Amino acid sequence: MKKQFLAAVLSAAMIGTMMLSGTAAAAEDTVQTLTVWCWDPNYNINALRVAERIYQQDHPGFTLDILERNAQETIEKLATSTTSGKMDELPDVMLFDDTMVKQELLSYPEAFTDLTDLGFNYDEFSPSKVAFSTIEGRNYGIPFDSGTALAFYRTDVLEEAGYTIDDFTDITWDEFIEKGKVVLEKTGHALLNGMGAYNQVAIMLASAGSGYFDEDGNLNIADNKAIKEIVRIYTEMVNGGVYMEETGWDMYLGNINNGTVAGAMNGCWMMASLQAAEDQSGLWAVTNLPKLDGIEGATNYSSQGGSTWTISSNCQNPELAVDFFKSTFGGSTELYDEILPTGAVATWLPAADSEKYEEPVAFFSDQPVFSIITQYSADIPIFITNAYDSSARNAVVNAITNVIYSGAEIDAELQAAEDTVAFEMSA
Amino acid sequence: MKNRTIGIRQRQSMTGWAFLTPAVILLVVMNFVPIFQALLMSFQSGRGAQMKWSGIGNYLRMFKDSVFLQSMKNTGLYMVVTVPLMIIIGILLAVLLNDPQLKLKGVYRTCIFLPAAVSLVASAVIFRSLFATDGFVNMVLVRLGILKRGYNFLGHPASAKIVLMIMRVWRWVGYQMLFFLSALQNIDPGVYEAAKIDGATSVQSFFRITLPLLKPMILYTLIMCINSAIQVYDESVNLTGGGPGNSTLAMAHHIYNTSFVNVPNFGYSCAMSMLILVVVGVLTFIQMKAGDTRE
Repeated sequence: MKKQFLAAVLSAAMIGTMMLSGTAAAAEDTVQTLTVWCWDPNYNINALRVAERIYQQDHPGFTLDILERNAQETIEKLATSTTSGKMDELPDVMLFDDTMVKQELLSYPEAFTDLTDLGFNYDEFSPSKVAFSTIEGRNYGIPFDSGTALAFYRTDVLEEAGYTIDDFTDITWDEFIEKGKVVLEKTGHALLNGMGAYNQVAIMLASAGSGYFDEDGNLNIADNKAIKEIVRIYTEMVNGGVYMEETGWDMYLGNINNGTVAGAMNGCWMMASLQAAEDQSGLWAVTNLPKLDGIEGATNYSSQGGSTWTISSNCQNPELAVDFFKSTFGGSTELYDEILPTGAVATWLPAADSEKYEEPVAFFSDQPVFSIITQYSADIPIFITNAYDSSARNAVVNAITNVIYSGAEIDAELQAAEDTVAFEMSA
Repeated sequence: MKNRTIGIRQRQSMTGWAFLTPAVILLVVMNFVPIFQALLMSFQSGRGAQMKWSGIGNYLRMFKDSVFLQSMKNTGLYMVVTVPLMIIIGILLAVLLNDPQLKLKGVYRTCIFLPAAVSLVASAVIFRSLFATDGFVNMVLVRLGILKRGYNFLGHPASAKIVLMIMRVWRWVGYQMLFFLSALQNIDPGVYEAAKIDGATSVQSFFRITLPLLKPMILYTLIMCINSAIQVYDESVNLTGGGPGNSTLAMAHHIYNTSFVNVPNFGYSCAMSMLILVVVGVLTFIQMKAGDTRE
């Protein structure tokens, strides 16, 4: 009897110490570990792993716990967790597409941490990038990669039509369409394609520093000269066969990689997808975008599809998170040099001083593409963003579809688009 | 003594309840409670998690929402076109495959049923590449000289709707066939023999014997088909993305967009879901009443 009692006491004590040490270890873990949701193992997750290794040099014991979730999954999980009051399901860090981040910040303000006073070096980032995650002067995001837009062309196809890359540099959209028709006639290749008008419209609108809203947040679609001009140009491109509309991302990339389409226009992250067609190495070259002629503030530069890190309100140690990002994404040329080959170009300005950025890239006719991107990004106008941007963009794309396929009037369709967004905002 | 014995009927019904209870509890917790919560939420409105009571505002809002009205029209079209096609083709295939003389029946049945077993995303990818500008369908049409250049089927509103409906019928017709086949196998072959002796042609016996005996099964498949047509979602999302424009957008897809793509308005989404619930309920009720031949 006695022995049994002793054994029971001893084992109870043992379990007790185990649990105590367990909780102690767990407490230390939460301090040293950041959980992250983001997508793309070769791009974002790779960048995080490199950053983790760099940060570990001064902070042994620090780890990242990364869960791969695509952009849409992150948005859905954020919505369900926040609305059901289960905020503890959120990770410490979430990645968002630049075009979505403001919508999410304004929809679920209670789910994010205000980073303004936590000492992050925002002044070392390009202002147009920081603006994506700034609401009423408060910062809620940490800028990551650049979405600086590039125009990519197949030099061999241009040559066949009697052009060089210089003929497509510093041009207007009307010149682009004119030359694109010549290329189509002589070679049979369209110069551009895309999943409907979505990205193309966004790039063109941003290139003029315009938006779907004015500075005061009022809708600015029906009477926006830039949007009208974009609809006219886009319609002309599609009807003329210069721009091929695709129905899926797979077809968009497929038709570029198999040589059906002789050009592309997208954020610089597009480089990674182009390089998937190894047989086209040396045939591509980059230059700036065509410009919207006669529109105030129009430039040859734009941006599309970079992304921004945010820190959730569930993060137990926001100081650690900010320090991690400040030492890596906001302070390490080593990090940006290492992730450069994947096409991840820094929005942290000092990164561009690195020699790596000057190196020629064989795939793109030995152009120093990364320093070109850095030059272009300085000229991107700051464009107006709003929580309802993605709704507005969808409405404008629908208007364009109706103009192209049902022969509708541009003005009436843009008015209908503005009404649709106004209706949505009236909730 | 008498009080402590349980009658055999009571014992049987207790056994029945014991078997039912787990299923009922699961159904209540997983289905009915969320439906009730959605009903409550449908009377609230606001951006994201910041919801306020708004009475029947969401329900009035629906009828002013041009996108929702468009999606309702689209869904209605899918229902009116695909449901009769699925049922008629399903019955014809079932009758053909029920022929005792036919060889390799198993192979045909498997082939026709197989689309229903393929994941929807996979079949959407297949259809997208079939109907792509340089896809198989266009290649055939160009080779036959019917078209000069590949036609962007999914890029034009009318043809995109047609492709979506073809995909729905292709996918679900084998499933309906299976129900009719099982019903046909319950019909006594003696009935047909008697009709033959009386001089009935095979067309006559189809309309006079087969169809009336299939009636309960037709009613059942009709209800299921209409319900699934109203809830079309996957095709709209995976095949066309609701586009071009909103020309193929289904109601359920619009509800999803309102919650997870555009600036979220969950109250409004719930209200639209409730409308679908009511429509499905009413249609089912009408069909049950119309199809009920009991005096």
